[in-house]
Amino acid sequence: MLKKEYLFLVIMCVSLLLGACSDVTSSKSKEGNGTDKNTLTMSWPLDIGEANPHLYSPNEMFAQAMLYDPLVVYGTDGTISSGLAEKWDVTEDGKEYTFYLREGVLYSDGSKLTAENVKRNFETVIGNSLAHSWLEVVTIIDKVEALDELTVKVSLKEPYYPFLQELALIRPLRMLGDAGFPDSGNTVDGIKEPIGTGPWILKEADENHAVFIRNENYWGEKPPIEKVEVKYIADSQMRMMALEKGEIDLIFGSAQLMPSEFTTLQQNDKYVTKISDPLSTRILSLNTTYGVTKHKEVRLALQHALDRQTIIEHVLSGLEQEAHSLFAPGFPYSDIEIEKYNYDLKKAQQILDEAGWAMDEKTGIRSKDGEKLELLIAYNSSDQVHKAIYEYLQGAWKEIGVEVELVAEENQVYYARTKSGEYNIVMNDTWGAPYDPHMYLRTMLGEQQIGNYSLSGTDASGKLTEEITRVIRSTNEAERSSLYESIIQTIQQEAIFMPISYRQNYLVANDVFKTMTFSPQQFEVPTNLYEMK
Amino acid sequence: MRINRSENSIEGEFVVRKKWAFYCSTFLVCLLFFMAVFGPWLMPNDPHVPNMAAKLQGFSAQYPLGTDHLGRCVLSRLIEGARVSLFVAFIVLAATLSISMIVGLTAGYAGGWIDLVLMRICDILLAIPNFIFALVIVGALGAGMKNLVIAIVVVVWVGFARVIRNMVISLKETNYVVYAKICGVPTWKIILRHIVPFVFPQMLLLKLIGLGSTILMISELSFLGLGITPPTAEWGMMISESKTYLMTKPELMIIPGVMISLTVLIFNAFGDSLRDVLDPKST
Repeated sequence: MLKKEYLFLVIMCVSLLLGACSDVTSSKSKEGNGTDKNTLTMSWPLDIGEANPHLYSPNEMFAQAMLYDPLVVYGTDGTISSGLAEKWDVTEDGKEYTFYLREGVLYSDGSKLTAENVKRNFETVIGNSLAHSWLEVVTIIDKVEALDELTVKVSLKEPYYPFLQELALIRPLRMLGDAGFPDSGNTVDGIKEPIGTGPWILKEADENHAVFIRNENYWGEKPPIEKVEVKYIADSQMRMMALEKGEIDLIFGSAQLMPSEFTTLQQNDKYVTKISDPLSTRILSLNTTYGVTKHKEVRLALQHALDRQTIIEHVLSGLEQEAHSLFAPGFPYSDIEIEKYNYDLKKAQQILDEAGWAMDEKTGIRSKDGEKLELLIAYNSSDQVHKAIYEYLQGAWKEIGVEVELVAEENQVYYARTKSGEYNIVMNDTWGAPYDPHMYLRTMLGEQQIGNYSLSGTDASGKLTEEITRVIRSTNEAERSSLYESIIQTIQQEAIFMPISYRQNYLVANDVFKTMTFSPQQFEVPTNLYEMK
Repeated sequence: MRINRSENSIEGEFVVRKKWAFYCSTFLVCLLFFMAVFGPWLMPNDPHVPNMAAKLQGFSAQYPLGTDHLGRCVLSRLIEGARVSLFVAFIVLAATLSISMIVGLTAGYAGGWIDLVLMRICDILLAIPNFIFALVIVGALGAGMKNLVIAIVVVVWVGFARVIRNMVISLKETNYVVYAKICGVPTWKIILRHIVPFVFPQMLLLKLIGLGSTILMISELSFLGLGITPPTAEWGMMISESKTYLMTKPELMIIPGVMISLTVLIFNAFGDSLRDVLDPKST
């Protein structure tokens, strides 16, 4: 009996080991290795989906960006430059945009880009308004007209200054060729083929990998590399092994490697690593409508008790920059002077003492009028970085008499909790370019949004709501600047967000590339700019 | 010489070897319990307090098994993990035993439509894969020790209830039960006096053998982040936390992994040998 069980265990272990290896080895023997001079091989955690330009998950953004083009492009410094539209006019009142399309742009099936086709794409997306109701750029469009072969006029219901910025989004307003539309004409039902004008053409895709080849008719600068192969590897340790064996040459993005894994690879001379500029902000969002964080003095004390340096250095492996403001300087309207909350435990304790939160000597937890100073922090159970940050805070805040209850939840349950607002603190990164700052602030007005739970319990909630509503509709540059300044400063004074660090993208590659870059949009892999040695 | 040996002595040798296995595993089980019960005094450091300055350290006098990614003492967390695993496992044991006893006895003794309904419920629950069902329950209720216990109990009681019900049905036909019935002994007395004393020890034995798999399930759920919640340490959680340090500090993963395997093996061996010792006929 015993023997049988041991034998079973041994067999289990061996088969597990074999199973773990098989995936990678088999793909290696099939595909050959990644040392081909004109092929970029990279890993991705998920498969690319259908590559439908007008829909969200499970379509992967990096693939959508490779295949399809927007009318205008969001540049590194936040400027808008020409994409499929060579130039454009905006009327004085900010309600009518006329786009002049580039001449001679060809889809991957050889058909021409026309104003009619652009109109069709716009109308399909607008027709599916339910899926895009969160996105102002879609809901704000009144009508789209094709003035002639290459001129498109878009009329808005109301002025919306970030309109061009949001047209540059990877989805949903990128152009699909006529032959790609399904028989029903509505891309919600799926697409026939991923026909785009982008620098790459999808050659094949199955459950293990996707292959993109260069679009020889691309209207812009053609990619120096001929082929991109994307291998789906779900686990980060497996990705690192694949990189070591040369099955892939590139691991791109913070979604694929944890900070500590990145620094491990960084120390190895074999690899080339790169870190991008700030792309978004890692923030703790406080709920001002729930429990002890309703009280401003508690929020202020927590601000002073946040040791960003330790978190960055030890949990985030020193990869990110310390953040004090909601948006990184360099984002539009974000170079704003604010009053920093410096790490000062004495001051935090003093604020709590003065506000009447007295320490209970026996339990070491503060309380006031029978209310315990207890924070409920929820997180997604699969997120190891968040868990580590919270565990650190749990220990550190205990010293000032704050008890932290950590609740790990499955993704859907966690999402439902953030919707219902039953938490004191959750992690809520800003959205990055091209959404920041306007989209992040605007969602603070939406019901059941994390940002809204931060805003609505404060004394300044009326003022903030009014200013955020105004800033998006404003057509005056100077007015917008001053409104943003006021909004950001009020948010800081109310202490409703605790920025920790500016998130950066990073990549690790084998030493085969001459140029490697990042895109300002954090989910885009700009493979068309990569060059091999 | 060997040829002259009778069958008896070979059997005797076998019994001795079984005894030896029993003593050994009992000793190890006691050791585990000792570790769990006297944990707070055995821990060299506080298992919860992060000390970033001392993170990812190697073996030393202050931290006998090194420190993890937040600078917490691995040995102390290991000991706390043992406490948690055994504590949860025994609560699960008590809860499943009582639920399956009640259901099994009711279904087996009452028979008829009660039996039918209860057993169909069991069939339905048995048809769902154990671990996935537990995962769904914890997923819906949220992580934490209480929910973990609920999930595992809901999943495990079914099989035992079935076994008990079958035992009760056969015991019900025995002569002394029939005789007691004829003499007019009340039903509750028959169950308590003449049925439970036969069923209970066998069930306890079965449960003890299954203890290893219960501990494994606790670790599996915690590994997925859905079991024990921080700051409490748990072996499965320790493994999942150290995943990212697999290349640089593999011992962070190996130590709790070895603990899980050892504990499960010890309990399996203990259960097996206990059964052999108590019931030499069945091998």
